[in-house]
Amino acid sequence: MHILHHLAAAVPLALAASTDAPEAASWVDPLLQQLVTGLSNGMIIALIAIGYTMVYGIIELINFAHGDLCTLGAFLALTIAGALGVEAWGGLGGASGVVILLLASAVFCAGLNWTIDYVVYRPLRNAPKLTLLVSAIGCSFILVNVALFWGGLPMGVFGGGVAAAAPKDFPGLVSDDNLLPAAWHVTFTASDLLVVSVTLPLMVALTVLVRYTKLGKAMRAVAQNPTAASLMGIDVDRVIGSTFLIGGALGGFASVIYALYNNTISFQMGYRTGMDAFTAAVLGGIGSMPGAVVGGLVIGLVRALSDGYLEARWTNSVVFGILILTLVFRPSGLLGAKLRDKV
Amino acid sequence: MQNRLLASIASLAIASIALAQGSLKIVSSLPRTGSANAQTTSMVNGIKMAIDEVGGKVDGMAIEYEDMDDASPQRGNWDPAVEAQNANKALADEKVIGYIGTYNSGAAKISMPVLNKAGLVMISPGNTYPGLTKPGTGEANEPRIYRPSGKINYFRVVPTDDLQGTVAADWTKEMGCKTVYLLDDRELYGKGIADVFEKHAKEIGLKVLGREGIDSKASNYKALANKIKAAKPDLVYYGGTTQTNAGQIAKDLRSVGVEAKFMVPDGCFEKAFIEAAGAANLNGKTFVTFGGLPADQLTGRGAEFRKAYMAKYNTDPEAYALYGYECGRVLLDAIKRAKTKDRAAILAAVAATKDFDGALGTWSFDANGDTTSKIMSGQTVENGDFKFVKVLGK
Amino acid sequence: MLLLAAAVVLGIIDGPLKLGLVDPMRGVLIFALLGLGLNIVTGFTGLLHLGMAAFMAIGAYAFAISTCDIYPFQLGFWPALGVTAVAGALAGFLLGAPTLGLRGDYLAIVTLGFGEIAQDVLKNLDAITKGTQGINPLPPPSLPLFGEFGSSPAPWYWLFLAITVLAVFACRNLERSRTGRAWLAVREDELAASCMGIAPIPVKMYAFATGAALAAIAGGMWASLYASTGEPGNYDFQISILALCIVIVGGMGSINGVLVGALAMIGVANIALPKLASWLQQKGVVNASNVLGSPNNWKYLVFGLVLVVMMRVRPDGLLPARLERRKAGGSA
Repeated sequence: MHILHHLAAAVPLALAASTDAPEAASWVDPLLQQLVTGLSNGMIIALIAIGYTMVYGIIELINFAHGDLCTLGAFLALTIAGALGVEAWGGLGGASGVVILLLASAVFCAGLNWTIDYVVYRPLRNAPKLTLLVSAIGCSFILVNVALFWGGLPMGVFGGGVAAAAPKDFPGLVSDDNLLPAAWHVTFTASDLLVVSVTLPLMVALTVLVRYTKLGKAMRAVAQNPTAASLMGIDVDRVIGSTFLIGGALGGFASVIYALYNNTISFQMGYRTGMDAFTAAVLGGIGSMPGAVVGGLVIGLVRALSDGYLEARWTNSVVFGILILTLVFRPSGLLGAKLRDKV
Repeated sequence: MQNRLLASIASLAIASIALAQGSLKIVSSLPRTGSANAQTTSMVNGIKMAIDEVGGKVDGMAIEYEDMDDASPQRGNWDPAVEAQNANKALADEKVIGYIGTYNSGAAKISMPVLNKAGLVMISPGNTYPGLTKPGTGEANEPRIYRPSGKINYFRVVPTDDLQGTVAADWTKEMGCKTVYLLDDRELYGKGIADVFEKHAKEIGLKVLGREGIDSKASNYKALANKIKAAKPDLVYYGGTTQTNAGQIAKDLRSVGVEAKFMVPDGCFEKAFIEAAGAANLNGKTFVTFGGLPADQLTGRGAEFRKAYMAKYNTDPEAYALYGYECGRVLLDAIKRAKTKDRAAILAAVAATKDFDGALGTWSFDANGDTTSKIMSGQTVENGDFKFVKVLGK
Repeated sequence: MLLLAAAVVLGIIDGPLKLGLVDPMRGVLIFALLGLGLNIVTGFTGLLHLGMAAFMAIGAYAFAISTCDIYPFQLGFWPALGVTAVAGALAGFLLGAPTLGLRGDYLAIVTLGFGEIAQDVLKNLDAITKGTQGINPLPPPSLPLFGEFGSSPAPWYWLFLAITVLAVFACRNLERSRTGRAWLAVREDELAASCMGIAPIPVKMYAFATGAALAAIAGGMWASLYASTGEPGNYDFQISILALCIVIVGGMGSINGVLVGALAMIGVANIALPKLASWLQQKGVVNASNVLGSPNNWKYLVFGLVLVVMMRVRPDGLLPARLERRKAGGSA
């Protein structure tokens, strides 16, 4: 949150600089543009990263299936968009279409995530951690295949079901026109605005939930010590289920934002996105929600700056290099709590 | 050439006795799992049509066909272990007399030496990396390393990238472009063709403003597009396929506001590319090269193929369906000429293919195993569909 | 022992009975070796390692550079394999040194990072690695009994089996040695182990390097088998995941378990599924126009279901280590 505050202060200054001094503008404009791109991408990653970090915080599971859950959320959004013909609704109708997609996807992903926990992970509560991990990997594969089949639906939006495995174009419900005046030399589109206007309130809402509600308190208690929490009268399974529910909902929101921002979905889109989000969660300190946000933003920015100023072919290495360096100097991640050895 | 003809005649004489009832088998090894499925399905359909055309038999011998997958679920793309397995499986099965494959040039590198040592004929409907057949176009030891037996067993019906990349650069200049920005997907095919384009572009005076290798699994390329926008090229060339995210690149270039034209090679010449990129992002500004002619430009046998395909499958054949069909036809024709089940004789007959009445016109296999057909075409995208512009090269 | 006997029998009967199993079994053996390497790091020492593919790649490229005729070294098979093991161990030391102080899942993601960085390095430094071409061709091994290896899978099978037996032997010895006990101690409770006088970091480094060496050998075998390193893209995260699944499904910390796990995982993916697919195709059940109709499109689902079901039914793996020790009479 602090970083955003500083950035919010810096941006108008830089923009002023770019409009006043055309010579100085030549390096400022591209940089600002990359920052905008990086932050938008970063927010999407952050939203998905929160899903990873929530589940990890509570049952110490790296939920490999989370990225693919988001894939299914995106496919649902595309199906609904096609079925309702949302693309044809103009103006305000388009906006309400987006809201419908967001809600539908959130509900779907929340329910699906909860179900996966109930069916696959709950019976394994006492199993070794790595058993759970392999189950998550198995779920990931299953979800990917479901997405593959989904993409083969004989609907117009899926290309008539001919090419199930190909990437799908997502309707451009949000325009790419620059919202800023041309003199500012920076492009900030409605897609960027959408990303910001959905992720920020969600993060605030989540913080409120975790800090001030009973459920949030229960979640923190279970994360700290499940046995003690159950002795205190907390229904641990229910709390874990709720965590999956909320994490899934966030994933659902993220999937629609992702689809609207990138305008493409594919059955394998969970791979890179999931990896970035998981990396972000760890970078920020796994188990810490503000950490996941910071991690996401950092990764988004690093990617954009590396693509823009270094070489795109090294970007993945740069991201992981920064991760490794950070962990060497801050072993619990940027905002992670220092883990104390329990004796 | 003469030796091969003599060998054919000799085996004809001997093998007329060997012409028992029995069946012969053709196998194909293509990536059926993963995003290449659409393209390879059309190729498989083409092969099946070729077999159906001759009624499923040649001279009384039934022809079986097996569609093998060289991809694996964990890779989501072709898998060297699986490709090697396919090759060995084909060799072990005595009925198999021809191997149609592969789609990806990287996969071909695995099975070529194996099949070469055993002398089984291999015809590719989709490999375009030049080093597989043409000396001097790839590494120093290519293509010798693919022919451990010293003889040639690998053929392809598609023209290679050294031609396609060159005519793409020429076409770019013809369109009046002066500056280009190059991208590639860092894979064998994509990087290869981008290298050819870059080399020739420099030769003909096009200015290359930049060259970047992309991550084909990234979710968007907006940052890269920002960079390209600042460089202001006349044309952006992407060496890659639909499967390596060509559609997303097109989308992000437009959403960021890059005005340049966009050109891609034949790995993107499929409906899935237009669907992936979104027609609005491609219309009027996108150009696709292809080593052959698009379905609606085919004449003669090619047009008949197209009609039959549409009647059977209710859809226009994809670009590569034709090559699958052609591979099937060449192989069946070779079996007919060899009049025997003997692998060596069939290999010789394939190599001796001359003035073949193909769907793409008349062509032969040259001494390297390449097709003499050098027809290249240029397409653009209009109203959400490919539109033929002109024949390139010549 | 039983497994070895079965493997030997299979090798002998496969040719005459035309089972066609020896060919894919070579792949199983390569992954068995990879699994054994991961087993040391994750199974014995309890360090979650998601980057085995990087070390496999290092091994493959080390092998290729040592044997390919475009480089001046041109060693024989066994010396090259030795170089490969050393390269792997060295890489394990170098990469492990700064990072093995990290805890559990943080280390896991660092190893994941190794995998990704290795991919980029191999793809981009194409002056040395030949980028996406891979380094080829590599000469086939030439052994005294068999001569130079041809296209028949049998000599490869025996060679790989021999290497696997040696590796298993080495792993068993390590398991029972002081180092092995130190590894188990660190896995069970690092704090207690350090109180007992075991320095965790050097112990972990040893495990990491040994695991890396085995993975590198697996990579060398792979490169030798395909006479090429293949594309760098071959050594991606999916391989690391597969190795992890082999170790966990087989039984974490159990050597026999890893072997069975490799058989199960690779068997399903590369033997059973293709056979099923081609059988279904012969029966004409396949319907190409519908995405549900092609068996190929079910592969992810089947693989995932197998994993989920296996973990539910046998959460400790097919041949858990504890079961093994009980069978052996109780001594660890």
